[in-house]
Amino acid sequence: MKIFSSLKSGLCSAFRSWKCVLIVWFSLFLLVLVFIYPLRGSLSSAFGSSMITEKLTDGFNVEVFADLGSTLKSLTSFFTAGFILVYFIGFVMNSFLTAGLFGSVRKENRKFSAQEFLRSASKNFWSFLIITLIIDVIIYFISGLFLALPLTLVDLSDTISEKTIFTIIITAIVFYLLLLPVFLLVADYARAWRSANENESGFKAIGVGFNRTFKKFWSSYIMMALLILAQVTLGLVIIIIIPGWKPLSGGGIFLLLIISQLLLYARLLLKTWRYASVTSLMEETTKKIPKNINVIQDGQERINFASG
Amino acid sequence: MTLTLRSQIINKVPLSERITGYKMDVKLDTNAKTVSGTMDAFWVNKTTDTVADIQMHLYMNAFRSNRTTFYKEFGGSPGNKESDLGWIEIKSFVNKNGINLIPRMQYIRPDDGNMEDNTVLKVLLPEPAKPGDTVFVKVNFETKLPKNARRTGYNDNFYFVGQWFPKFGVYEPAGMRYATIGSWNCHQFHDHSEFYADHSVYDVTITLPVDYVTGSGGMLISETASREQKTLIYRAEDIVDFAWTAWPGYTVFNDKWNNVNITLLIPKDRVSQVERQFTAIKHAMEYLNDYVGPYPWPYVTIADPPLKGSFSGGMEYTTIFTSVSSFFMPAFYHMPEMATVHEFGHAYFMGILASNEFEEPWLDEGVDTFWEERIMDHYYGNNSGMINTPLFKLSDKSSSRMPYIGSSGRQDVSNTEYSWNYPHGMYDIMSYFKTATWLYTLMGIIGEKTMNDAFREYYKKWAFKHPSGKDFVNVINEVVKREHGDRFGNDMNWFFDQTLYGSAVCDYKVSGISNRKYRKPDGKTDSVDTVINNWPKTDSLYTATAQLERIGDMMLPVEVLIHFTNGDEILENWDGKERFKDFTYTGYREIQWVKIDPEFKISMDVNYINNSMTEEPQRVPLHRLVNKILSFVQFYLSIMLL
Repeated sequence: MKIFSSLKSGLCSAFRSWKCVLIVWFSLFLLVLVFIYPLRGSLSSAFGSSMITEKLTDGFNVEVFADLGSTLKSLTSFFTAGFILVYFIGFVMNSFLTAGLFGSVRKENRKFSAQEFLRSASKNFWSFLIITLIIDVIIYFISGLFLALPLTLVDLSDTISEKTIFTIIITAIVFYLLLLPVFLLVADYARAWRSANENESGFKAIGVGFNRTFKKFWSSYIMMALLILAQVTLGLVIIIIIPGWKPLSGGGIFLLLIISQLLLYARLLLKTWRYASVTSLMEETTKKIPKNINVIQDGQERINFASG
Repeated sequence: MTLTLRSQIINKVPLSERITGYKMDVKLDTNAKTVSGTMDAFWVNKTTDTVADIQMHLYMNAFRSNRTTFYKEFGGSPGNKESDLGWIEIKSFVNKNGINLIPRMQYIRPDDGNMEDNTVLKVLLPEPAKPGDTVFVKVNFETKLPKNARRTGYNDNFYFVGQWFPKFGVYEPAGMRYATIGSWNCHQFHDHSEFYADHSVYDVTITLPVDYVTGSGGMLISETASREQKTLIYRAEDIVDFAWTAWPGYTVFNDKWNNVNITLLIPKDRVSQVERQFTAIKHAMEYLNDYVGPYPWPYVTIADPPLKGSFSGGMEYTTIFTSVSSFFMPAFYHMPEMATVHEFGHAYFMGILASNEFEEPWLDEGVDTFWEERIMDHYYGNNSGMINTPLFKLSDKSSSRMPYIGSSGRQDVSNTEYSWNYPHGMYDIMSYFKTATWLYTLMGIIGEKTMNDAFREYYKKWAFKHPSGKDFVNVINEVVKREHGDRFGNDMNWFFDQTLYGSAVCDYKVSGISNRKYRKPDGKTDSVDTVINNWPKTDSLYTATAQLERIGDMMLPVEVLIHFTNGDEILENWDGKERFKDFTYTGYREIQWVKIDPEFKISMDVNYINNSMTEEPQRVPLHRLVNKILSFVQFYLSIMLL
């Protein structure tokens, strides 16, 4: 029942934090726009007054872009470099904004205050950066391992059948996908705890994250799986709607922009739901501890609900 | 000694001259990875020359070391272990009188003088072969198959046995193709080419372990089996090479198109691919039968090698070829179909029309690619011959044009190089992609019907012979002249000089649109434009000009479509020769847009973007794309950032 109460309370917190989510969405939108806008200009200038763009009316046509020749190479370099840059800036920015979000979804923060959002963001920024960096490194390592293992197996064996190879690869992917929520839980618990204990270090928070995840593993895991399912569902909706939508007028393009941004906002809201639910579950499981008392749990965890 | 071959079995009448024939009795040793046995073979001197020697390919020697011509071109190494290497050893070699020819054997390197390359054998005959003489030889040989090598060999218990026996080169008398004096045309084994041989008859007996499933370029005549071994007798007629495959894991499927039996050997994991393979080959058979000529054998075998045999995937041996597929191959990706259509197409371009792949690879690979692309785009969608998803489509035709126009070396060489002389990376671009692209351009100029008629004529004239590039050009010239008279000039050589024999680039551009108010004659004019002067409203008269430019050096005739503000359209024909060309019109209308080659007939044009210009460019698709990229990047970040 803790799962559902946490999900419910998380959902309420997420909706309550809609203004914070708006800030996150707007920041990401601006960041990507700064990179995309010159691309739009470069593309328009590359195609000039040509009518070849008619061939794009029915959708993406790679041959049209191939004709750009050296311009395409420059555009590709620009896109790749820009994308990497945006990713790294986004990574840093995300640590800052998520710190604000985790602060805003805590039970005691019932009312939105930009000041509180920014205070929490700046206070927890470095710890959140460390947490996400370490968890990301772990995830990338695990991804590499899950990719390399089946490929090595396949490479080593001459007699292995294709069906077996396929089964090995699918099994590896399934295991990987099953493992992924665990790392998300660690990251979220660590950040939720750090948000509640602003004076503690990011490294310690990761330790707490692992501890929390495995202490209440099944309830945490099932809750995270449900949250991921909701996000995947919305992701599928986005994938189905956006790429296949081919508006033919300026108004249609504007509508596409609005709808796609609304869907992305919804996606960020769901992500916030995840943060809020994990925070709520953490608060839920530590409720029984008397207020205004600092407790050392397992010799490493300090919970302070003095303001709760 | 004489060689007794079976009389005609497959076709009642021989399709080709009986210049060479082979009768082989061999055994596959699955432990030693060898194929050994005897070969009785003949070569008939059908020329008026007296020939002092015979020359034979010993291609397996290409896998002896990393110093052979093949590995020097390909890079890498066949391996260090004895089991990795491949070679062919001649144990005995006698003529019809039993004279030992081994002392008369000599390895020659006609292409590069590489002393480490023993892929061509010259045997001095005890007595020169006079016109009409038949040279009989009996060879005892052992072929060690290379492991996991390119195109041929073994891996574990999979075997694809190609280029495995001593095979005659082609004796070319003066006047045949480009020969100025009679000589053997017998090239070394190269990275990019291996086919040029006379159409032959093969009687091949193969003994191998009983559990092996086999397929070959021949028709199975008989099969006998003991407890451990089985013996198969194959017969093939009028093919240029004999290859075979053996693997216990093959599952055999059969189908039929008209009177042709199709056998598919495929790993049992890939049963889901069977229908795709049969459909693809039937499409290819139907299309080539309709537009080129009949497939003359009553059988064909497709071998779809397992993963461990993927080194042999995508190879052609006329009546047997290998495809490329896998257990999981999404239906939208037509790679297996493309491979099947392409490799089957070689039955025509190299098999029936037996050109010299070493010297004119474009006539083999390029022409075949052109037909493969036509077939794929015809049956699998004009824009989706290669990939067909709701969001992304790719025609097979594009998959040739794009690498050609995107290649920085497209002007470095022409199509006329020998296969091993192309600079790095340019063999595929020139032999496959450029050729297919200029063939599409030729079709755009002379029309699809004339193109098909020309290929039918090419087949009619040159089937089961050795056509050269100039023979192909002559056929095109002849058919174009017959169907179009002098419309394209005296011949089409102006086209071939630029595309096949030249390296120029084609690029036409609309450089401007000018709509100027008509200026009435004023001041002291010497002439009066009476027609326009009498027009009632000269203030809304325009002198509209479409300004065109030829950027590339290639000159091809192009159509120019000019659209006016009042909806009028004029289709102009421009011979494409001038560097600059203006089309000017005076009237109550302005030019709204101009398109050079509006139907994209000139595939050789390396930039379609500058082929058109409009006063009001359509930006919606671009903005839509950018919007989607924006959403995609945001979406991606929202997933990837924890």
